[in-house]
Amino acid sequence: MLVATDLVKRYGDVRALDGFTLSVAAGEIVGLLGHNGAGKTTFVEIVSHLTRPDSGQVTIDGRTPSAARGEVGVAPQHLALYPSITVREHLELYGRLAGLRRAALREAIEELSVVLRLTEIMDRRAGKLSGGQQRRTQAASALVHRPRLLLLDEPTAGADLETRQAMLDVVKQRAGEGAAVVYTTHYLPELTELRATIAVARSGRVIVRGACDELLRDLPGEVRVTLDDEEEIAVSTSDPAAALIDLLGRVNRPVTSVDVRNPSLDDLYRSLAVTHAS
Amino acid sequence: MLLDTAPRRPGVFDALHRIGALARHNLIIRLRDPGQMISYVAMPMVLMLVLKPLYVRALDQGATQIATGLMVMFSVFAISMAGNAILSERTWRTWDRLRVSRAPAFELLIGKTLPLFGVMIAQQVILIVYGCLAIGLPVPPSPALVLLAIVIWAFTLLSLGAALATLVRSHGELSVITDVGALTLSSLGGALVPLSIMPGWAQTAAHASPGYYALDMMQAAVRGDVAGILPSAAVLLALGLAAGAFAARRLARGWSRGGLL
Repeated sequence: MLVATDLVKRYGDVRALDGFTLSVAAGEIVGLLGHNGAGKTTFVEIVSHLTRPDSGQVTIDGRTPSAARGEVGVAPQHLALYPSITVREHLELYGRLAGLRRAALREAIEELSVVLRLTEIMDRRAGKLSGGQQRRTQAASALVHRPRLLLLDEPTAGADLETRQAMLDVVKQRAGEGAAVVYTTHYLPELTELRATIAVARSGRVIVRGACDELLRDLPGEVRVTLDDEEEIAVSTSDPAAALIDLLGRVNRPVTSVDVRNPSLDDLYRSLAVTHAS
Repeated sequence: MLLDTAPRRPGVFDALHRIGALARHNLIIRLRDPGQMISYVAMPMVLMLVLKPLYVRALDQGATQIATGLMVMFSVFAISMAGNAILSERTWRTWDRLRVSRAPAFELLIGKTLPLFGVMIAQQVILIVYGCLAIGLPVPPSPALVLLAIVIWAFTLLSLGAALATLVRSHGELSVITDVGALTLSSLGGALVPLSIMPGWAQTAAHASPGYYALDMMQAAVRGDVAGILPSAAVLLALGLAAGAFAARRLARGWSRGGLL
């Protein structure tokens, strides 16, 4: 669905993208991770045709970003709403711009208002909404035309639990319907819940790409055992279950607590940061 | 299953549909914040009424001078409406969201400026009608000619406002430029005092002010002088086209990091 190859983009002396390559299949959710300045937002801007790469190529369903406009739904990192316009009017605007009319538009708005829990605030002006409600309104206006490619740039930044859950539900639903999703976030557990494949960007390029399980396979987890005198024994291991059995067999004293932690995306992210920094 | 979002219709109907959606949206925004519109209509009405006795006694065509002069001056002030409307898209960060839609840049611009164009035309029509009813402006023999002059002037103002919005860095900066600019350009153009009694240097400098051409065109239109409006209308149209093309080019690039700033 989305194929980006060897993108380079400079802003003055800064190389925002430096050989950025990423592809996303229909129905796939790719969690795009990276520090601030890794190139995530620039990538989103190029795919949504807001800026052009200095070199490299992007195709969306075999078309250029310019030709595929309207097939893409973008929820940018920052809030971008009209303060004096209601939630319903926002959805009507973006729906109409995408070509939706009358009954189709009404149905799309009705469905999204339920899924994103906007029903109660549909006729409230965006400037009067809470931060979470604004986030949901922004996401809804990116989704109203059922785009084939979704670019969600930190859609849950600063959002409350209700907003986060609503957002994850709708992203899963749309991916289930066949939309390709690029989801950038700093909240790594969201990607686990979305069952996203992972791409990690650093210094303007994707340095790791793969299924979450594959990427975590070789990372160590941790077993932590607390003894009756509050002494703690911690073991870092790639097989936490076996390590725990071994440890309990060797410790000849009462154990007050056991904590087994499998490797997480946080561990992956930290390990990549160390690897690439060195 | 993904829906096919837009049934493929002939391009022109799709474009009209999108422009209509944008114009409706921008009209709602304008109507929900009508302060500037009201003040740029009410202020010249009050001033015309207060200054009428002075102008009628002092000048042969005093009523025409005060009615058309203040209409031109306050229509120049209305540049700030156009500028603010466009600059707000940057403040709200909404322009880029529109650029991601199917609407190409020219549709976005038309949809954005159409309601403003209507507001500017309405402002000038109201002031001319008020001038005839309350100030003693002679009823124009050809209302169509006056309307044509108003449309040309509104187009020029809108283009200048849009171009300005792509150059300034903030609403404050825009406000200073439009306020000082409106007073200077319209006064220099003869909006407050007829050019014939201004000093020589001012009469020469007036030709650099769009206000001069606007006033000249408007007064010719009120007289019903078709040939008289043509030179000034040509200058204003050329200025409007140049400023409009500049604004369109700048706005098509947006305000993202690679864009305007």
